[in-house]
This record gives sequence, C-alpha cells and structure tokens, in this order.
Amino acid sequence: MNWKKQRHSGTARLLHWVYAPAVLALILSGLYIHSPSRAFGFKRMDSARKTHAVAQFLLLNSYVARICYGMKDKNYKEIIPNRKTLKAMPKFLKYEFFLSEKKKEYPKYNPGQKILITSLAGLIPVQIITGMALYFKPLQRAVKTAGGLNPVRWLHYLAALMMVSSVSVHLYFTLTNSLKKLKSIFTGYA
Amino acid sequence: MVNEDVPAKPLIIWLGTNTCAGDMLSLLNAKDPGYQELISSIAELRFDYLLGASEGSDAINVLDDLQKNHKAAYILVVEGSIPTRSNGLYSVIGYRNGKAWTALQAVRELGAEARYVVAAGTCAAFGGIYAAAPNPSKCVSLQAVLDRKVINVPGCPINPEWMMGTLNHLIQYGEPALDDYSRPKLFYGETIHNLCQRRDYFDNSIFAAKPGEPWCMYKIGCKGPVTYADCPVRQWNGEHLSWPVKANTPCIGCASPEFPDGDVPFFEHLPDIKLPGIKVTANRVGLLTGVVTALGIGAHLMGSILTGRLAETLKKDLPGGSKLKIRPRLKKGHK
Repeated sequence: MNWKKQRHSGTARLLHWVYAPAVLALILSGLYIHSPSRAFGFKRMDSARKTHAVAQFLLLNSYVARICYGMKDKNYKEIIPNRKTLKAMPKFLKYEFFLSEKKKEYPKYNPGQKILITSLAGLIPVQIITGMALYFKPLQRAVKTAGGLNPVRWLHYLAALMMVSSVSVHLYFTLTNSLKKLKSIFTGYA
Repeated sequence: MVNEDVPAKPLIIWLGTNTCAGDMLSLLNAKDPGYQELISSIAELRFDYLLGASEGSDAINVLDDLQKNHKAAYILVVEGSIPTRSNGLYSVIGYRNGKAWTALQAVRELGAEARYVVAAGTCAAFGGIYAAAPNPSKCVSLQAVLDRKVINVPGCPINPEWMMGTLNHLIQYGEPALDDYSRPKLFYGETIHNLCQRRDYFDNSIFAAKPGEPWCMYKIGCKGPVTYADCPVRQWNGEHLSWPVKANTPCIGCASPEFPDGDVPFFEHLPDIKLPGIKVTANRVGLLTGVVTALGIGAHLMGSILTGRLAETLKKDLPGGSKLKIRPRLKKGHK
C-alpha cells in the first residue's frame, strides 16, 4: 500500500505531458517562424510551420481539457492566487531573495508557483486567439478590432516572449527547488 | 430625340483631396479596358481633379450640377485622405460662393448624393501616408468622415486593374463582394504571401539576406504574409511585367490598413515599438527579455549555490544524497 500523499492525479499528469511538449514545440517553432535560424532546431520553414500547426491544436485541446478538469475537480482553487496568496507573498519573496532563512511549507503550490501557473494559463488564451486570428482569414473581423495583422503579430510575439520567460523560470525552479516534487509530475507521488 | 439631362453612360467624379496623384496616374496605365475605353464607352468621367481642363467656377459648377441634378446617378471616387484640422482647410477643392470649399465639405456633400463611394488608394481607404505620425493636418480616411458605405480600393498606388475592375463591377453588376475592410474580395481575397511565386523558397527556408537577391524576402521584412492583395498574380507595369518581390525587393504592405506607420521599418519583420522618447525594435525586445530572464535565473542560482540551498536540496532529495559533501554555507545557521 502506498502511504505517500498523491500530489498530482493521473489526469493532471497526462494533460501536463500533452501541453508541456506542445508549448516547447510552439516556442521553438514560433521563434523559427519569427526569425528563421537553425538554432531553434529546424532546417525548413515548412517543418516549423507544420510543427507549429500540430502543436497549437494539441495545446488548444489539452488546455480546454485542463480547464474542464479543473472546474470539475475544483482543483483550480489550488492554483489561482487569492487573498491568502497575496498575504503570504512578502514572506515568500523574502525567502526567495535570500533575506530570510525560513522556508515555509505550503499545502501544494507556493505563491510564486501560483502566479507563474496562472500567468501561463492567462497567456495561452492570448496565443490561441492571436494565433487563430493570424491563421484563419474568417477571423479578420477580430484582427480589424486589434488594428490589423501587424499589431496582432506583435501581440503574438510579445506573449510568446513572456511565455518563454515564464517557462524558463518554471523549469529552473522545478529542477532546483525540490526533486521529490519534480518526481511527482512523473509518478504522481512526492 | 435624346434627352440631354439623362446621361447615356454612368457618371464618375474623381475627386483629389490630400494626395500625390499617384492613383490617378496609375489608373492611366490600365489595359483591357484602358483609360480611353473607360471614358469613351464605359462611363463618363465628368470631373477629374488632375485631367480636367476647366478651372475655377467652371469646374465647381460641374460638381454642383451633378450634386443637384444627378442624385444617386454618379460614382464618387475619392483619392487622398481627408484633413480635418481647422475644419478641413488643409485641403481646398475650390471656391463656392466666394468661400473655400474644403475636401471635408466636398466629400460629405457629394458623398451623400452618390450612388457609390469609392476610396482610391490607401490614403483614402485607411488614412495612409498623410495620416502617418505626426499627422499635422489630422488626416483621416474617407470612411471616417462619411456615414455611408465606402468601397475601399487600397494600394500605394492602386494597381490600375483594381480600380478599373471595381468601377466596371459597379457599373455592370453592382457592388462586388467585400471583406471586413470593405475591400473587393476579387482583388484582396488572399495574402500576397500565399500567392507569391517565391513561396517555395519560403517553405524551404531559402531566404534573401539583402534586397537584390532572387530568393524569399521574408527575412528582410517582406510584409506579404500580412498583406491582402493579388500583386503576385496580377503584377504591374501595364503588361503584367513585374511586382516588388519579382524586382527583388520586399513587399512593404502598401495595401494594408496599417500602412505606413504599422509597417515600418520596411526591412524588419515586425514594426518598432514606440515608447515616449524612444523606439525599440522587436528583436531588441526579445533580446532584452531573454537577458533579463537569464540574469534573474542566474542570480537566483548563484544565490542558491552560495547559501547552500541547492546542495541541501540535492542532499535531501537525491538517492544517496546524504553522502554528498556539501560546501560550507556562507552564513552560519542558515537552514
């Protein structure tokens, strides 16, 4: 019998491992589309665009599924920052900026993680909407509201940069904060 | 007996506001039908700011007559943007009753009685170059000063066939199918990028590094992917000879609603961001974001190493981690 506490359910892990590679693929292929360079892992624009197209639908579907699962299981409450999160923020920041030595334990996610995950969850719809506006001509009306295709392109690029930053910070903390917690995204148990 | 009051052919007014005359000059290069055929057998060009021989009150009287006696019988074509500053005094069509008759007044009055209103060129359709920053005369598009539908035929200048095709469609069949920017789908139904002869170079990442090279212009700021127009298939110079990319230079998106401010720099993939007092390129924004992120992560990692936090995490979480030799912490009593 496993006495360890389950940290991530099977559904959450499955969805995570669909949208995480999709986001990484979108970042790399998107950066290649923005500025073609072999440094992003592609040789041809065609393969970058195909990767971007497949990954965007994977992300769209897994994101919607994750939202539905969060609503059904009520686990969105663990993620979305609330008043308690804001209250806990100064102490958390003090520790993270090495001004305090007391590491506080949190039920599941610390305030930083909550803000990071929520900001990623907020950036993804921006990318979906702007990406679809660039992809489908019938959405020209939405493009017109934004001021044309060039501003939409800019917004897509800016949101992508913010995602690159957020994902980098997320990866850094998962690799250095707690290896047990990192393991839990594979096994489910911390 | 022929009634002279009823024109045998559709009437056209071609009004020039704040314009360089490029659109009218471009129309003169039309072929099949050409300009001569337009004015001799298709329609009657009753007024043209550039080609008309009459001056002063003779010219204004033509417009008066059309407005009063030929309501809903003429097509009003406006070339150029409409200045609104100082009640429109930055563009005066002529003098009426001894007073300046501004372009703003003229397009409103003539537009109210026209059967169709057509904006010729990007300036008339979206504001264009005259409405570019700092826009001292407060120029706007034709649609911004009219409360009726305007058919936009953008381009800087217009391809002669876009205008000739639109006018002929209006005369023969009525209003053509329009997109959300009120442009005829006939000519603006697809992006330049999707029609480009060099699309294969794009798909295979064979890019030109500078203008003059015979490959895809994407990397030097081609606006083909964000510009709707059929230049690649229709081409220019009367005989369908060439178009910007065929001439080894990027498309600058002259038919876009954002042209020119939203398209500059022409040789960059994305427009600059304008902040108070400074301009920042898209690549610089990307670089800055990357540097700030890397510095933040690097600084935190350094702190974690120096305070012994990282080593502690490894010792605690790695199998056999307790055997790890941890470097002494900087701070005594750090937990």
